[in-house]
Amino acid sequence: MLVFLFALLAAIYSWAQNNSTIIISGTVKDKEGLLLPNVSVTEKGTSNTVITNEAGTFRISVKNRNAELLISSVGFQPLTVKAADNISIVLEAKSEELQEVAVVGYSSKKRIELSSSVSVVSGEKLRDVTSNELTSLLQGKAPGVVVSTGSGDPTSGSNVLIRGAGTINASTAPLYVVDGNIGGTFNPNDVESVTILKDAAATGLYGSRAANGVIIVTTKSGKSGKAKIEFTSTAGFSEATTGNFRLMNTQQLYDYQKTFFNPNPAALNTNTNWWDLAFRRAKVQSYNLSASGGSDKTTYYISGNYYKEEGTLINNDKTAYNFRTNISHKLSERLKVSVLLNGIFTKDTYNPDATVYDAYLNMPFDSAYNVDGTPKDARYGTWYGRDRDNFLHSLQYNFSKAKSFNMNGDLNLDYKISKHFSFATYNRARLFNYRSDAFYDKRSKEGATDAGALYNSTSFTNKLLTSNRLKYTNNFGNHGITALAVAEVEKTFAESIDTYATGLPPGRPVLSTSTGEKKTISGRVDESIFSKYLAQADYNYSNKYFFVASFVNEYSSRFGKNNPSANFYQLGASWIISNEDFLNVKPITFLKLRASYGTTGNADGIGDYAALGLYSISQGASYAGLPGAAPSQKANPDLTWERMTTSNIGVDVSFFKRIDLTVDAYNRVSTDLLFFRPLPATTGYDGVYENVGSIRNRGIEFNITSKNFTRKFTWETNLNMAFNRNKVLSVNQGRTEVFTGARQPVAVGRDMDEWYMPVWAGVNPVNGEPLWEKLLTDADGKSYVIYTNSYNAATRQYIGKSAAPKFTGGVTNTFAYNNFTLTAFLNFVYGNRVYNDSRFYFDNDGLYESYNQMQLAKGWSRWSKPGDIATHPKPVHGRTDASNASSTRYLEDGSYIRLRNIRLSYDLPNSVISKAKLSAVRFFVSGDNLWTLTNFSGVDPEVVLSGGESSIKYPISKKVLFGLNISF
Amino acid sequence: MQTANKFLFITASALVLGLSSCRKSFQPSTAIDENAALTNAGDIETATVGTYALFKNAGYVRSGHFLMEYPTDEIAQGQNSSDDLTRAYRYTHLVTSTHPALFWSQAYKAAEAANRIISVIKDDATADMRQLKGENLYIRAMMHFNLVRIFGRPYPQNSGNNPGVPILKDGLSDSAKLSLARSTVKEVYDFIIADLLKAADLMSVSKTNAFASKEVAFALLSRVYLYKEDNAKAIEYADKVIASGRYNLITGAEYTNYFRGVPEGNKETIFCIRHTKVEDRGYSSIGSMYFSGDGSGNAQNQAFSGWGEIYASKKYVDKVAENPADLRMSFVSPYKVNNVLQLNSKLTPNTPMYYVNKYSLQEGIVNLSSPVYIRLAEMYLNRAEANAKLGNGQLALDDVNRIRQRAGLSGAALHTLASVAASSKTVLDVVMEERWLELAFEGHRMYDLFRNNMSMVRNYPGSHVVSGNVNQTILPTDNRVIFFIPQAEIDKNNKLAQNP
Repeated sequence: MLVFLFALLAAIYSWAQNNSTIIISGTVKDKEGLLLPNVSVTEKGTSNTVITNEAGTFRISVKNRNAELLISSVGFQPLTVKAADNISIVLEAKSEELQEVAVVGYSSKKRIELSSSVSVVSGEKLRDVTSNELTSLLQGKAPGVVVSTGSGDPTSGSNVLIRGAGTINASTAPLYVVDGNIGGTFNPNDVESVTILKDAAATGLYGSRAANGVIIVTTKSGKSGKAKIEFTSTAGFSEATTGNFRLMNTQQLYDYQKTFFNPNPAALNTNTNWWDLAFRRAKVQSYNLSASGGSDKTTYYISGNYYKEEGTLINNDKTAYNFRTNISHKLSERLKVSVLLNGIFTKDTYNPDATVYDAYLNMPFDSAYNVDGTPKDARYGTWYGRDRDNFLHSLQYNFSKAKSFNMNGDLNLDYKISKHFSFATYNRARLFNYRSDAFYDKRSKEGATDAGALYNSTSFTNKLLTSNRLKYTNNFGNHGITALAVAEVEKTFAESIDTYATGLPPGRPVLSTSTGEKKTISGRVDESIFSKYLAQADYNYSNKYFFVASFVNEYSSRFGKNNPSANFYQLGASWIISNEDFLNVKPITFLKLRASYGTTGNADGIGDYAALGLYSISQGASYAGLPGAAPSQKANPDLTWERMTTSNIGVDVSFFKRIDLTVDAYNRVSTDLLFFRPLPATTGYDGVYENVGSIRNRGIEFNITSKNFTRKFTWETNLNMAFNRNKVLSVNQGRTEVFTGARQPVAVGRDMDEWYMPVWAGVNPVNGEPLWEKLLTDADGKSYVIYTNSYNAATRQYIGKSAAPKFTGGVTNTFAYNNFTLTAFLNFVYGNRVYNDSRFYFDNDGLYESYNQMQLAKGWSRWSKPGDIATHPKPVHGRTDASNASSTRYLEDGSYIRLRNIRLSYDLPNSVISKAKLSAVRFFVSGDNLWTLTNFSGVDPEVVLSGGESSIKYPISKKVLFGLNISF
Repeated sequence: MQTANKFLFITASALVLGLSSCRKSFQPSTAIDENAALTNAGDIETATVGTYALFKNAGYVRSGHFLMEYPTDEIAQGQNSSDDLTRAYRYTHLVTSTHPALFWSQAYKAAEAANRIISVIKDDATADMRQLKGENLYIRAMMHFNLVRIFGRPYPQNSGNNPGVPILKDGLSDSAKLSLARSTVKEVYDFIIADLLKAADLMSVSKTNAFASKEVAFALLSRVYLYKEDNAKAIEYADKVIASGRYNLITGAEYTNYFRGVPEGNKETIFCIRHTKVEDRGYSSIGSMYFSGDGSGNAQNQAFSGWGEIYASKKYVDKVAENPADLRMSFVSPYKVNNVLQLNSKLTPNTPMYYVNKYSLQEGIVNLSSPVYIRLAEMYLNRAEANAKLGNGQLALDDVNRIRQRAGLSGAALHTLASVAASSKTVLDVVMEERWLELAFEGHRMYDLFRNNMSMVRNYPGSHVVSGNVNQTILPTDNRVIFFIPQAEIDKNNKLAQNP
């Protein structure tokens, strides 16, 4: 296949040679001085056309010195100039947004030339919110990209979902591509732009592992010219959001318990607010210094970053040091070498105890301190709370922390073989070292039974990747063609050691001091390989019609021996109607139609050996001190790639150069879904990895940017929204549900995240008992509902509500006047149901007297006498009716709208900064998550959307930050 | 151009060939391929160890303990727990309860692992291989026996014709295993007995009490026959164990420290589920529910080393205390401060904190225990119960008295036919009392009562009934003397019928 392609390319190459008389060369730039590749330069009145190369230069043979050149490029105003050697041409843009360069597949293109659905977020737009993590910066910035953060813990990440979950069990995480290669590391401060690829024509090249979309990150590089030094400093405070949630204080809890129990009046002497003891006003700071610049031959970008975020939870923080150097050098006119190095050192401190749990559930009756002011040891004396936990006591001694060093080095060579052929080899080594320490001192409750416990874990991972690309480009007349062939392989090697040792002296957290049992000493080695071949061809005619086709064959060592590799293909086409003569309508300054179709694969979310039938030989399989081997995984040699087939149609349109609108509609069918299919216990296994069925996601998303005012006062509005609907199409082996019996069973004909549980029918006004729905069928086969007070008798039902939102989106308004800029960014999620799991504990109707309880939310009431219409049953101590068991009672509307960020910045006027020999100085104040509107009764409605559960939640933070940005 | 073309083709071919060799597969480092797992004697022995490990798993040994022991009148829970174990204690099971689901799943995993070994060893293999086959047959029988007594009604009810559990024998096809229906209680018992008889026949090596051997199979046969009211066979197999001479009743301090030593050193234990020092489950152990204290066995406040919220019932402690000399009081560690018994005040009336130490302090590690599944004392008491039912009163009392003497009782504390008659009890009553006293907390009581058509009476402080009222009587005919089949299993296999 590949050889055939090369032969074809060579044939085209020789055919394209032509002869000429006078040779004129020149460069084409945009207004900012960026060199423009792929610009058509036509000798006026002829069909003699050349295209600028990647450095924006062109050479054209013209008939005589008086020739005129017509310079045109998509997205720019066409220009006619008189031919002159070494001419420098500046093109003026038609519309800004469409000029953004999108790095797609294995090349970069202007968005205008794409046939695919992509979103581009520039580094500037990204960094309004302060975080060390790209995903939380992306929230609400691009249509169809749903970011959900399950926790306010700065050491934990967020979850990204592009166009709904197209998979059940396999990972829904998009593929990251950093600087042209799969995987890799980066710091958000070094990001030049992020491109999100959503449809198959774009993601397909990353093939196989790109089924959940691709997030392409391009880090900054230097530009030839004067060195630029930039310093940014951000510092501020954060606090945990508490939303509509309120815990009871002592008096409230006592009064409530009085209604069903005899609380000890002595408890009234204490009123401890455990939440306030567990959470704090935390500091966030980030400093970034970068230098960039270069000569004609060499460019560089060097940066260093320090980031420290304290969690709003005590004893929890993240510190990160990041260093990056991107250098590229032209060894010759033909050969360019680039070296990209990124080192990240991270220190995470985790709260080692059940502090969040205790913040919710510890009783206000219990005092955290002894009379002398020292933290009380909850193990001794009177203690009302069930868990006898005082984290303040344990945290004096215990800790849990991790550090990691992540080194990522890229060596890229770009070689221009000839006028039309180029070869590139992109090679990456990533080394990752990790070490964690958790120590439970013998003086603490947690360490007492082991007489001190120490958990150590270290791991080493390396990923080696080589990607080799041969590219052919040519233009003849109005035809433009690019062909690409790639061969790529990625190998991952990981090894780790874990130890759990006991019997350590107080405050001596190193292994050598352990004299007790070494309860765990384990180690393992894992390896996997992905490799692929791909070929792609792009064709455009007259900058009006664009076509792209590609084919990928990919292998993964994870799959069964019968089906380890798979083929994927992609097709795309687009048409810039506004370049047609017949479309000469004033209001429409740009109009393009796009369509694409193709297949991609998914191999994530399963382990490296998921297809093998295995006997475990780890410690868990040992008995009586003897090594053993026990069946641990059922074989499935047919296990293969999950596949997604995506169709996408889209339109990009600009009106009056003021309003840019992009609309996309897609249909994505996932087949051969990877899933750990639960098996009856009588098979001897919990389940087996299988390709179980198919689901469909279809949706519409749009992005509209409007420049409302463009004079001295400017106001720009961006709105993006995405509507996604999911439906399970089939499940294999004649079954109708994938995960029968689960709260979200993934049933044919339904949304895969639809909830399935007993339906809460409220409280019986007569006696205050809980009621659930029970479905019965009458003699005619008609079903009807009765109410039952028996949880076991209640019918589990599909309730028509899902954990997936009906729509998501974001609105950004940017106002600027003189040197002031105000940006307000709201994001919203609508129509999802969140299971508020923790109400099992803190809204339990008297069942447990030893947990603190939440105050009733707005509109809730407790039954107290016959005739009461109430939301909550009569409290009964130690009740046996399972009123707090899983049902729609705790399923709440998870919709919210949040002021994710508001930011006011001020640029010092040029007159001031030029005196100080600075090029820019900016001050800003920024607020994250300051306001949220929701009906959700918990601390925060934001949950990891695929699971839809809120359980003992570490809420996200409100932050207020002050910043300074100086460039020299 | 020529050079460029060459460069191109060389690069392309190098890449195509080079990458093809990268399409290899890998084996995990902590597991072996199943096709290589049972190919030689050494591997089969390793895999047999793995079968034991499957029921050493907490899902079996811990969840199973909750299901078999917590419904009894030997224990009192002093406070409401958010763990599903409370539902076993209170007879308020849910079809979605976690412990029955864990137990069911782990029991069948162990049975299936046993099946694989059973099917690769021929009955005429070497003695060592026959031993391993026997051990796996024993394990399969033990799995089914515990399943059928947890999920199927007592054998005497409807003569074993009530629904039992699916029988997972070797040689079933994949599709058959996906849709096994429940066999009757009788069919399951017949299967268990056949396995145990064959296991006893195959086994000839006397391993430690952490492993199955001929006597272990005999001992379980004695219990199984007793449960199905085949009293003569119950006696026959108890006799075989006693006559083997491998075990004796340990006495004095050795007895009162029964559960604290190295399990293999215990001459009375016939079979235990061995946990080594590195397998201390801490707060997630069985012992942590019963006991909180230091490594010397001194009781301390709750949360010192464990939850300490499941206590010996006042009913049981009062019964043992009838004879102050009774050594069995040493298995209860009352939590006292300044010599005053402490009460768990979470409920009214307050529950006295009688910690139980049968699952704590093995080798001085507070939460470590190797739960004893069968011990010699039970053989005497099985024989006693069978003899009582067969009308051999004196033989029954002889065995009861042997156990009582070992517990430090003498004189009037020992039973005679006359004293039994004088107290207007039957010999069987006396045997059942003794089983209660001796085998308390070891998962016998509930079956001893219900299979003998006796009620569970729990009139003592505890959270078994809603606050304030401490009286509870569970009739042997109550639906909840057995557990629901886990709903998740029914959902995966619609051939499984639910218990009422």
